[in-house]
Amino acid sequence: MALLQLEKDRLVWRARQVTGPDQRRQSSFYSTLDAHLQGGWPQTGLVELACGLAGIGELRLLFPLLAQSQARLQVWINPPAQLNGQALAQHGINLSKTLLIRCQNPQHALWSAQQSLNSGCCSHLVLWAKNLTSPQAKRLQVAAKDNQALMFWLHPQPEPSTSALPVSARFSLAPLATGLRLKIHKYQGQWPQHPCQVDMHKLWPSLAMPTVTTAPVPALKRNINLVSLNSHKLQ
Amino acid sequence: MQWLYLCFPSLQLDSLLHQQAYSQACVLVDKNEVVQANPEALQLGIKNGTGLAHAALLCAQIKVIAYDAKKEHRLLSQLAQCLYQTSATFYLDPPQGLLLQTSDMLRLYEGIGGYWQQLQQPLIERGLNYHYASAHSPLAAKVLAHAGNDRLLQHQRQVQMLLNQLPIQHALLDHKLALQLERLGLNTLGQAQALPKSALGQRLGKTLVNYLHQLEDTSAPTKPAYQPPERFRQRLELLYEIEHSSALRFPLKRLLTDLEAFLAPRQLKVAQLSLGLDYREHASQKMHVGCSDGEYRAESWLSLFLLKLEQLKLPAPIIAISLTTKGQMPWAPLSEQLFEPTQGKLTTGQLISRLQSKLGDHAVQQVYLRDDHRPERSFYQGAPQSSYPTQQATAFLRPSLLFTLPQALHHKPDQHWCILSGPERIQSGWWDNVNICRDYFIARNPAGQVCWLFRTATEDWFLHGYFS
Repeated sequence: MALLQLEKDRLVWRARQVTGPDQRRQSSFYSTLDAHLQGGWPQTGLVELACGLAGIGELRLLFPLLAQSQARLQVWINPPAQLNGQALAQHGINLSKTLLIRCQNPQHALWSAQQSLNSGCCSHLVLWAKNLTSPQAKRLQVAAKDNQALMFWLHPQPEPSTSALPVSARFSLAPLATGLRLKIHKYQGQWPQHPCQVDMHKLWPSLAMPTVTTAPVPALKRNINLVSLNSHKLQ
Repeated sequence: MQWLYLCFPSLQLDSLLHQQAYSQACVLVDKNEVVQANPEALQLGIKNGTGLAHAALLCAQIKVIAYDAKKEHRLLSQLAQCLYQTSATFYLDPPQGLLLQTSDMLRLYEGIGGYWQQLQQPLIERGLNYHYASAHSPLAAKVLAHAGNDRLLQHQRQVQMLLNQLPIQHALLDHKLALQLERLGLNTLGQAQALPKSALGQRLGKTLVNYLHQLEDTSAPTKPAYQPPERFRQRLELLYEIEHSSALRFPLKRLLTDLEAFLAPRQLKVAQLSLGLDYREHASQKMHVGCSDGEYRAESWLSLFLLKLEQLKLPAPIIAISLTTKGQMPWAPLSEQLFEPTQGKLTTGQLISRLQSKLGDHAVQQVYLRDDHRPERSFYQGAPQSSYPTQQATAFLRPSLLFTLPQALHHKPDQHWCILSGPERIQSGWWDNVNICRDYFIARNPAGQVCWLFRTATEDWFLHGYFS
């Protein structure tokens, strides 16, 4: 009786009920990450990215993937600031396949995410939302899987939600001098992994810190000199 | 030529009662006189011509609705629109009649039986009471239909026989004229027809002669035949006032089904629908719902409308709704989907319209580029378009997240910041008075965020975006 109740509350799962995780992957176009995740991002499903602060490179992590797959729509919901069309275009993203949704009400944001996934015409979806409950995450996960879509959920907490949300993968991001450090908290179909260091230096050389990080002061000074020089030249 | 006449003695009442099952006595009243009554009312002894006071005496709970000739005419043309699917040539005979030319249609439907079956279908669906008769001349058909003949006669002989027996009071003659004929001892139409026309004309006037001529005249009426309208426009009077927007679902569905029936045979779809809501004692309201790809199916439109209706608060009870279209376009069903495999249930346009219906038009946007050096003006967000020319992005590295308003930095970047590149001077906008002169830097703050900073001429520092 007690076991039945536990099963009903979904606190127990039987190993034989599991059909086996979806092993298909899509490349993230970062070789170290692909090697670490045995092929890259999941093909479908919901991926949670705990970013902490905005602007550490969380979108640069996704841009190579988004630039490659443009057969269907890419939907962005509630970005924390304006999505710069120039930057998206520079990174190779097709703006005619990009849809931007803004809504104040978090419920509406989730609704539009689910509608977009269920429409079947959306291949990737990036949602900024503070938190998701377990049923919400489950709904989005099922919608994404059923419609061959990959959804990224970005939130500003430094650590991923502790509750056992039904997501395909769960990462937390931290900035590094040349890129990002990805802590893999969960990845369906895989044993827990060590953190992975994603090197963005190759793709964005000008955004990586100079390798000599010990003395940033002269760097600033040098630049400021350069500034005054340049501004003279410009004027 | 063969003619078929359809008459609807209680068109307005039937249309009202069809919306909802109503089991009480209900009458339409014009000038204090009952003009249409439902079967429940008839059972109580209320007939056409009964005075209102008399009717109220017979049944205290009787529902009384005002008769409106304009509304009835509108209903008749709506019905005509529907019958146009089965009949090519017919004429409206307001207020309650339709005259159909059958001889052309008999070959298509292989006889009058098949034709009548097709014709009956929409009448039964709409729950209308009707009388009909077929004859060789329009007037003969009309007279027999009004007499409640309800028979499809093939031969002129049979028609003539029925006309001969028809009481003169039912011959749709002027009341005074009918009385005169009766006083002459002519109790049936046949008796009048048997007399020489010239003699009748001399005694009773031209009207009767014309009438008798028309009874035998098989040619078409002089007025133009019915032509369906180019655009869909329909209005539905509600039997009950609606106080909750969710209750609009069923009347709305009926209108949309009619819309589908209008659009589908014409191979058309529409991009926008306007739903007019008429309130009691309140200015009427219009609600627009769009579907950028165009759509004709009632089901899809209904789901879009329901999203919009969820947010609607009714200021007063609704007494009538109307539907008009905007932007009709040809519908090519297979041209796109034949070779492109589509996984989804919706097209991009359908998804966008669904999102817009719920969230509002401004919530769903696309990003477009613009040739401007000023960062905040180098792109803009606008309504989604299916196709537009691709635009070239600037060669300079730009942040992916940009603040609408730059945020002032309280402290100038110190030694903990690392300037990664810069400065890039942007000085532009002298022509439209939004002049900027900024030196932009890409810098990494101590927390690890890659920021886009600028310094103004007054040495103030601002954060303008993140290279996220």
